[in-house]
Amino acid sequence: MELRRPPDAQHAVAALGNGSLALAGGTDLVPLLRDGIVRADTLVHLADAVPRGIDGTRIGAGTTLAELEVDPQVPAALREACAQAASPQLRSMGTIGGNLRQATRCWYWRLRFPCWLHGGEVCHAKAGQHREHAIFGNERCASAHPSDPAAALLALGARVRTDRRELSVAELYRLPTDESRDVVVLAPDELVLELDVPLPDASVYLKAMDRKKWAFPLVGVAAARFGDRVAFGLAGVAPIPWAVDSADDLDRATPLPGTAYKVQIARALIARAFSAL
Amino acid sequence: MLELTINGGVHTLDLPVDRPLAYVLREDLGLTGTKIACGEGHCGACTVLLDGIPTLSCITLAHTVGEREVTTIEGLREHPLVDAFVRTDALQCGFCTPGQIVSASALVAANPSPTRDEVRHAMAGNLCRCGAYPKIEEAILTWRD
Amino acid sequence: MARLIRTEKEVEGRFTEQWIVVEEDALDQWPAGPRTVVGQPTRRVDGVERATGAAVYTADVQLPGMLHAAVLRSPHARARLVRLDLDAVRAAPGVRAVIGPDDLDVLTSEPCYEGHGVAAVAADSFEAARAALELAAPEWEVLEPLLDPEEAVRRESLLAEPRRHDRGDFDRGLAAADVVVQAEYRTQTLLHNPLETHQSVCHWEGDTLVLYTSTQNIWGVRDEVADAFGLPHDGVRVICRFMGGGFGAKNDAGDYTLVAAELARRTGRPVRCALTRREENVVSGNRNATIQRLTAAARSDGTLTALGGEFVSALGWDGWLGPTAGPMQMLYACANVRTVEYGAKLNLPPMAAFRAPGFVEGTFGLECLLDELAARLELDPLELRRRNHADSDGTDDRPYTSKNLMECYRRAETHWERRHEVRARSEGPWKRGVGMASQIWYGGGGPPSYAWIRVGSDGRAVVVTAMQDIGTGTRTAMAQIAAEELGVPLEHVRVEIGDSARGPYSVISGGSSTTPSMGPAVRSAAADVKRQILEIAAQRFHLEERVLDLKGGNVVSADGGSWSLEEVTGLLEDAQILGKGARGPNPTGMRVMTFGAQVAEVAVDVETGEVRVERVAAIHDVGRIVNPLGASSQVEGGIIQAIGHALSEERLDDPATGLVLTQTLDAYKVPTIADVPEIVTELVDVPDEHLTNLGSKGLGEPPIIPTAAAIANAIRDATGADVRSLPITREELLHALEAAREQERRGAAAPA
Repeated sequence: MELRRPPDAQHAVAALGNGSLALAGGTDLVPLLRDGIVRADTLVHLADAVPRGIDGTRIGAGTTLAELEVDPQVPAALREACAQAASPQLRSMGTIGGNLRQATRCWYWRLRFPCWLHGGEVCHAKAGQHREHAIFGNERCASAHPSDPAAALLALGARVRTDRRELSVAELYRLPTDESRDVVVLAPDELVLELDVPLPDASVYLKAMDRKKWAFPLVGVAAARFGDRVAFGLAGVAPIPWAVDSADDLDRATPLPGTAYKVQIARALIARAFSAL
Repeated sequence: MLELTINGGVHTLDLPVDRPLAYVLREDLGLTGTKIACGEGHCGACTVLLDGIPTLSCITLAHTVGEREVTTIEGLREHPLVDAFVRTDALQCGFCTPGQIVSASALVAANPSPTRDEVRHAMAGNLCRCGAYPKIEEAILTWRD
Repeated sequence: MARLIRTEKEVEGRFTEQWIVVEEDALDQWPAGPRTVVGQPTRRVDGVERATGAAVYTADVQLPGMLHAAVLRSPHARARLVRLDLDAVRAAPGVRAVIGPDDLDVLTSEPCYEGHGVAAVAADSFEAARAALELAAPEWEVLEPLLDPEEAVRRESLLAEPRRHDRGDFDRGLAAADVVVQAEYRTQTLLHNPLETHQSVCHWEGDTLVLYTSTQNIWGVRDEVADAFGLPHDGVRVICRFMGGGFGAKNDAGDYTLVAAELARRTGRPVRCALTRREENVVSGNRNATIQRLTAAARSDGTLTALGGEFVSALGWDGWLGPTAGPMQMLYACANVRTVEYGAKLNLPPMAAFRAPGFVEGTFGLECLLDELAARLELDPLELRRRNHADSDGTDDRPYTSKNLMECYRRAETHWERRHEVRARSEGPWKRGVGMASQIWYGGGGPPSYAWIRVGSDGRAVVVTAMQDIGTGTRTAMAQIAAEELGVPLEHVRVEIGDSARGPYSVISGGSSTTPSMGPAVRSAAADVKRQILEIAAQRFHLEERVLDLKGGNVVSADGGSWSLEEVTGLLEDAQILGKGARGPNPTGMRVMTFGAQVAEVAVDVETGEVRVERVAAIHDVGRIVNPLGASSQVEGGIIQAIGHALSEERLDDPATGLVLTQTLDAYKVPTIADVPEIVTELVDVPDEHLTNLGSKGLGEPPIIPTAAAIANAIRDATGADVRSLPITREELLHALEAAREQERRGAAAPA
């Protein structure tokens, strides 16, 4: 394996694709490489290639979660989501751009069961252990998306600028299909460079997890109010960050036997988030 | 060849790209104070400072360290936190302790008088299976005593 | 004089009869209360070494030319090997030796649980060893695993004969009761997760196998490995100066040690075999899950008339049946008790002792049942426990050597009284409550255990014994005991431990036995040294020995004379004073047990199922406390592990394949610093006058025992929900709340 450290985004993009992968904080990618879940001939280290820092509503993709959680320019929902994400060291290492690209914590997927998400036929979680899994979008794969910040960015209506286009966070994610098991629409050589996060009138992130700190979300609820409109983004409830308009949308959830409790928690947290705004 | 600055000294090494820093420190340089307990970024035992920032050396590829200065527990042996940990009995088996002290050193450098909640927020990534946590908290809250 | 006696030996509730040689134990106990050194809060003597990373753990041992082993482990819970290409492994780069199922007893071609060892390789690096194993390309015939413990009991797939205890007349006890409660409790499979994984470095020096290992049991590993390789016992030298946690899982040699030893033998080079975290969480042992169907019957005044239980322990492929019914048999006075315990043999990884095995699980069931009974009787739970206090061991009527449980209850009252104020702080969805539970456990230790002490001309003492300090602070406790007896400052005592070639036999660090076993031996050795010093001083200063004593580093005489110890020992030049000490026997016909009570305060979010443990008060009776600082750490550590057991930890297995899913520390959730409540520790600190020259019992295990039940009882107090299954995750709690609401609806609908 080779490692390159391109001086800017243009060189980085040129180096990507064809067995080359982008490496930012490495908190997810390095273990996945070690486990053979992800393979790469070349790692393209992004330290000099993507912007880092916060300027008003604009956030460089190389900004770490630790930097976001303490910056007063950042909307509360995103700050709180970052502060409650992972562990302090992981927040210091992990970038917001990488966080949006992180893989599910589904134990079947991580332990390399030949599951549907790995290109196989069945989702082992559905008939197996799935207490951490999805209540929405789980027809093919019951994995849950673990990103707290992504749920916040979804509620905040953030936009993502890549090396070639701009799209909303909602557009960034897609449920995996039989044809493509990816959860993002980005091309293999496409690089997230910057986020634009609108300032809401108020926002909040609430998280239910198994420990008080350092656990992935069972249910994370981000809420943002713009005028009289409130938007919600949920973490840990679907293979991708999941948007809902209100608690009523939970009536359409399709929980598994072991995830029905998440509907109840989501309902409570949405109500609390709403009243906090 | 790769140059790493560790505890003030410069080391020149020939390393494969996939070699994490923790293994370089322990096996190539004999700095075994940095422990590896999970090897996948979950427990904090391998915490070192990169330019003062607590970092999991078991999932940091040595080649990505670059110019950043590495500080391990061996570089913190005179830190008052060592005495604070021993005074308050903030360790049992001691295997997580170097990582705890490294994380704590970054906290008190940035915030010399942390509150209890700030200690818990900054230290939640350092697992201690013996459960020395109450005294780790006490050690950090009283580190200058 | 040495005496040969037949005695009962107990380790973690397992009793064996054996012959032992003991020496007279003629020392009177020190008076109760803190002494000059013993009983004083004392920093760990090895604290700086550990904190600065200078201490060398097995993980840190690097020998010249050392190879690294990796083990090919079964990816199936039950399978038969059809094909395995060890030649391809042998030909891989960096490989120095390969062994397969025919080469070592711990390797198999018919694995019976996930992770069962199949083959192993030694290579120049761990990465090379791992890569080589990839080439083995095993083909398997996968067989149907047996995973359900109840099914195993039905099929009589058991690791031991069902264990029955029947005293009095259970049925008559039921008939005599005014109230009978019955419930089923479940506890989960738990993983030890010491931060240093199981590992050994093996190196042959001629005919001697030098073995660095992370162990709780230096001497047990020595004997086990020597027997496996047909060596005399001292042909194996076991070294463990520092070890990174065990909690019961490191009592045996383990396959990794035997693999490393065999590969070292074949290559003539040192070999390290270290489990990865994932291997650790699959094969290194676990606290087995249990199912407990329990009955308690009482008269309206609370007097227990019958206790009964059927206990199913899901032991896995190997292991032993822990005393899950122990608390039911022993904690309360009850004439009519009937228990049966089944140890299910399953295609799951073997259990291992885990900090008070059996009693942790059994206490959860029993102490929750007691609170359900108290609710039915409309009796105060603490009062119910007082009314059923056992004055002697109910299993055989033996008197206790000491029991201060009533004093624990008395001290618990202050904490218990807080419940009115705690409940009143309930607000919105957050309900608050208080619960308690009692604790009984072994922890008396026993012989044999030995210590040597040498004092040189500088007046400094070195305690030499081949025990291990697993993090409980026994190195410090031994230094304190020696310093106290010798009348010297703590800094003048060194403790050299952790090497079977450099010290006498010491007890296993399990079953809360290190301090009660080793402490008396160290004191006895120190007394031997002291006697000799006074004999020498008497001759030097022309005084009678009986007027001399050692105090504050000086030899003092009754008439006010005082000479520094060095004035006496300085005469020795290169000569040394050598003392030896042995652990005396436990009193015959008596039962040595530890006791305690804990009171937990919780806040429960009834909408999201979150439980916050806000405060735990722990009162334990373990005899004399040697180091109050270290003792409070033991209590805190036990409670924190128990909070993990109660709320967040569970090994999850795939129900179809029996494969372990929670192998990593993000999925298997041990508590973090943020999960810790306020912990108040109170130790009764009354020496057990019948127990040795020290009067100390062990404290490693007692604190973990009652916590989960106290938390569950506090949740009931807060919400009215009966939580009968661990862990109390959010879904478990939400289900229990729903069940309580359902019961209330049915109760309301029923005719009066």
